[in-house]
Amino acid sequence: MILGALVRKEFAEIRRDPVTLLVAVFLPIVLLFLLGYGISLDVQDVRLAVYDQDRSQASARLVEAFTASGYFTRREDLAAPGGADRALDSGRATAVLVIPAGYAERLAAGRRAPVQLLVDGSFSATALIVLGYAESIVNGYSLRLAQAYAERAGVRVPGHLRLVPRVWYNAPMRSVNYVVPGLFAVLLMAFPPMLTALSIVREKERGTIQQIFVSPLRPAMFIVGKIVPYAAIAFGEMLLILAVGTLWFAIPFLGSLWLLLAASLLYVFATVGIGVFISALVKTQVAAVFLSFIATLMPSMLFSGFLFPILNMPYVLQLYTYFFPARYFNDISRDLFLKGLGIEYLAGNLALLALYAVALVAIASATLRKKVA
Amino acid sequence: MSTRFRAAIKKEFMQFLRDRMVVALILYLHTAEVMLCAYALSFDVQNLRLAVLDRERSQLSGQLVRRFTVTPYFGTLEMLASRAEADRALDAGRADLVLVIPPDFTAAAVEGRGQSVQILLSGVNSNTASAARGYAQAIVERFAHDLLGRRLAAQGFQGSLPEVALQPRIWYNPELRFRYFMVISMIVAATLLVGVVTSAASMVREKETGTAEQLMITPLRRDEVVLAKMLPPFAVGMAAALPSLGIIWWFGLPFRGSIALFLFASALALLVCLVIGIIISTFARTLQQALLIAFFVLFPLMFLSGTIVPIDTMPAAMQYLSLLSPIRYYMEIALGVVLKGVGVGILWPQFLGLAAIGGALVALGLPRLRNRLYA
Repeated sequence: MILGALVRKEFAEIRRDPVTLLVAVFLPIVLLFLLGYGISLDVQDVRLAVYDQDRSQASARLVEAFTASGYFTRREDLAAPGGADRALDSGRATAVLVIPAGYAERLAAGRRAPVQLLVDGSFSATALIVLGYAESIVNGYSLRLAQAYAERAGVRVPGHLRLVPRVWYNAPMRSVNYVVPGLFAVLLMAFPPMLTALSIVREKERGTIQQIFVSPLRPAMFIVGKIVPYAAIAFGEMLLILAVGTLWFAIPFLGSLWLLLAASLLYVFATVGIGVFISALVKTQVAAVFLSFIATLMPSMLFSGFLFPILNMPYVLQLYTYFFPARYFNDISRDLFLKGLGIEYLAGNLALLALYAVALVAIASATLRKKVA
Repeated sequence: MSTRFRAAIKKEFMQFLRDRMVVALILYLHTAEVMLCAYALSFDVQNLRLAVLDRERSQLSGQLVRRFTVTPYFGTLEMLASRAEADRALDAGRADLVLVIPPDFTAAAVEGRGQSVQILLSGVNSNTASAARGYAQAIVERFAHDLLGRRLAAQGFQGSLPEVALQPRIWYNPELRFRYFMVISMIVAATLLVGVVTSAASMVREKETGTAEQLMITPLRRDEVVLAKMLPPFAVGMAAALPSLGIIWWFGLPFRGSIALFLFASALALLVCLVIGIIISTFARTLQQALLIAFFVLFPLMFLSGTIVPIDTMPAAMQYLSLLSPIRYYMEIALGVVLKGVGVGILWPQFLGLAAIGGALVALGLPRLRNRLYA
């Protein structure tokens, strides 16, 4: 009864503020498209500048091997050594291939011909991958050269060693298949915690929270009255982004839908619980926003394994990631979408998530009550 | 400076500094958060977990495996006994890739038959997978080249084989530390966040508490009110640039360019962010609205700036959109000045872009400020 009245009051307040409602519904969708389309770490079309001092047929063929690989696009030809500096400084090129004079001669004589690749290392992740690609292009080209050379010398050339790559789980290697299932956890951390925190802190700022605590309403009821409507909104939001994300980006879903929904529900309570917890710690709405950002959105983006692999982190900071429920949901979501794993693989993460949600809501309510009473 | 303006500035500073929690969080964002992220986060595809299913266990197969493990790309190594174990290692996420060497590996090499080794890649993270494929390809091709040489020598072939040797040189960040990028990106992101949120909130707070009417009837001009509101966050933001410089030094980033130029760019970017915040405040009636709108604006600005992922990797349409994000220019300037050591001679388009966006925002915002500052 009382709970019904509280929930109605909360919904009335949300309805009265169309800006909030609009932002709460649209921002996750906007972010879904922005991040879904924008995050692709696949390294393709690397801008290559060529400084060919040899100007021979052989050097032209090496350049061709680079462009034919699909990883590099030839953007400019440099005429002087200083050109490489300028091409990299201005960002017009990510890599510069330098073929020294005498390249063709050395190869024709069956010798080793060095070529240089200058790579912009400021975004080291790209630089590493560019190096890997360049090495595989040059080594492959070099192998073919050696075979042709031996054949011309009249030697029977043996068959050679080949690598056969097989890709599992995400065979087309689409970046969105990785990004979108990880995005759900991030998007849900963007708003529910902040909205929940703001709605409680607003009552603190206006002093209406005291009115509630002197009324016959029990504090626990007040908190449940905050959690229920925002959890309902958050779950609706979750269903919306799950549906739009999966259908629009055509993400294959291999696992059990019920498991995904159960995990989502647990995660929703965790997000709202964080909001209540934040509201207990701060006095002003501005502080609530900063703290929500620092405690929810940023870590769920950076420390959940969404973009940055957790295994790349120092060990102590790997432990730090366990503080954020986005980490558990992320694992569950990717395992369900891409690997189609069953409960036997997911039980651990599900249990942790459930524990997290329950403990968080309990601790948050206790803290808020103590702070206000 | 008139007395009333001085008084207004004093009041704004007092109000701004009174919310200790916000000041503490701003400092946290500019220092601890930057450090934390710089230590923890890296996109580098390195130390991949390699599992090997070696069905031959011969000298030659051991040589191939060693070719993988000596590179920095592949870290831990797990030896598997069966194909089922390979499945489990990939399912449980214990391995990023499995190298499968067939039982007739050496025999095929001796007889000069073509051989193939297989790698099973977990494609969950397509970025990691394609990088791993590239590395593996390079290693196997190099190994094949050596095998070819040995095989021909065994056949009595005299002389050497031609070979193209790639000599990489990494510029700006020769040890390829992702940290360098991360430090700069977090400093830039903190500037944006603090600038937009604090200024969006400050004006609306007056509306919500009803003091906007009082401001309206004071002799303070509107531009004085707005300037006084922008000063405290500007001062705090610029003060936060000092720990930022300290952090740059702490992580051993080579500060190759001019510090003055970096500070000038920071001031310019911070000002643009403050203007964005003030404009947002004219659209909101309550603090909650202002903060949520600030968030709505902030996130795309941040994402389209290249602080999270490089702009190069985005689709073309988004690359054009990113030209509208002032933070994109600030990011490019910061990377250019700190890592590349370039100056205005190369970065003038970025400065121009930042100034142009700032100018356009002021031009668009002025009429709104005139009509809606107190409304």
